[in-house]
Amino acid sequence: MTITGEFIAFMGLALVAIIGGVLLLNLTKVVHMVVALIFTFVSIAGIYVLLSAEFVAAVQILIYSGAITIIMLFGIMLTKHDDDEETTTGKGRKVLLFLGVIGFAVAVYIGIYDFNVVQVPTDLHVDNTMKIGEALYSKWVIPFEATSVLLLVALVGSIILAKKEEKEGDKE
Amino acid sequence: MVEELLHSGSGWMNFGIFFLLAVVLLLVVLGFVTYAILAERKVLGYMQARHGPNQLGGKWGLLQTVADVLKLLIKEDIIPKAADRPLFIIAPIIAFTPAFMVLATIPFTEKFQFADIGVGLLYYIAISGMTVFGMVLGGWASNNKYALLGGMRAGAQMISYEIPLVISVLGVILLTGSLNLNDIVAQQGETAWFILLQPVAFIVFFIASIAELNRTPFDLPESENELVAGYFVEYSGFRWAFFMLTEYVYMFAMSSLITVIFLGGWLPPFDFLGFIPGAVWFALKFCFVVFVYMWIRATLPRFRVDRLMEFAWKVLFPIALANIFLTALIKTLFF
Repeated sequence: MTITGEFIAFMGLALVAIIGGVLLLNLTKVVHMVVALIFTFVSIAGIYVLLSAEFVAAVQILIYSGAITIIMLFGIMLTKHDDDEETTTGKGRKVLLFLGVIGFAVAVYIGIYDFNVVQVPTDLHVDNTMKIGEALYSKWVIPFEATSVLLLVALVGSIILAKKEEKEGDKE
Repeated sequence: MVEELLHSGSGWMNFGIFFLLAVVLLLVVLGFVTYAILAERKVLGYMQARHGPNQLGGKWGLLQTVADVLKLLIKEDIIPKAADRPLFIIAPIIAFTPAFMVLATIPFTEKFQFADIGVGLLYYIAISGMTVFGMVLGGWASNNKYALLGGMRAGAQMISYEIPLVISVLGVILLTGSLNLNDIVAQQGETAWFILLQPVAFIVFFIASIAELNRTPFDLPESENELVAGYFVEYSGFRWAFFMLTEYVYMFAMSSLITVIFLGGWLPPFDFLGFIPGAVWFALKFCFVVFVYMWIRATLPRFRVDRLMEFAWKVLFPIALANIFLTALIKTLFF
């Protein structure tokens, strides 16, 4: 394997993504966790750029920047300030977890080791935004529309749920 | 010049050239910020029938901001004891970095642009959305109720106004058929400026952009008389300067973006004026947009906090949606 700029960039981004994920699990304050999450999401967007999927990268950041802010606001509003979590796991459970992690790692390694990706030269990265649009509105139009209907139903449903609670609260 | 560089192979030489160009751009932006602050104070002054800074640096107060920046730099750096130290330090950096990153994609003239990204417009909007992290984090890390309230308001406002901002610009994208800023300018050269073709989109975009910039009448996150100064109450010295710098760099970026999307970028208004170089046209339009921002700040009072969200969701959002619908209809029926 030769060390190219792409490889270095990938390693950096992958490291940041994984470190962000680990920190998300290990930090104790909610807001710190959210900051770790930001690093993970942004570096994943960077990996998309390396794969020349620039549209997906931009959308990843656009969507998740809103999502993370909301998580952060809820994290601030719904948790107590300076409320450190305490870990209450026993030793036996930790050992079991560690075995599970090792088992998973071995299984993934065996699965991936001989997996041969056939590299087909494509020109998907040229004008990929246009291609995504064309595919969405011609080949995948029915799943696309179905998803949008699903999202709309979820949106209306959440509004109705929120309104209902308010009314009941008024009666009480 | 930059065009050739962008298409040449990668190497240390190119890295060095780009690094130098980026440093030059940073200096230009800093110079702009220095004089934008002065211009803002002067414009506000004259609109309120007073003079504004006129002591330091001659009659026009040309060195006033330089002195202010010097004062900020040599000020004591205070971090409150109860603050969350790492986040308090990192928040201004998180806020500023995207502000400078978005400048990479803006085509200043035909030849001068740092990155010709296919999804340039989307890149701008996505990256600029990241600044709100810095504001919310700064507000939270300060451990101060005013700062926290300011941070919360910043978060809510940025998310609400980003939606009309994106949706209004979809009309322009529909007419161009591309997200690339160069293509958008080229399309305006062929037809007409998008401010004429998409006036509704322009108005919605302009209003939403003021909200994104946190300027009056939408400066609720930092409203001085309710929240003292919002999310940066506890900041002082150069950390505070970073937040202010972020705001003015965004003003630079947003004015450039409006110039590119709606005012035809570097293109002259009439063909016979084409002998004047594109950079001059860009600068003129850019200065005009900056002036309008200052004008609005001097003219309009601040929004009430409960009206703010209603205005975004019940006024701007439906108008932007209707605009897309109309644009799509006209495009399919008549073109």
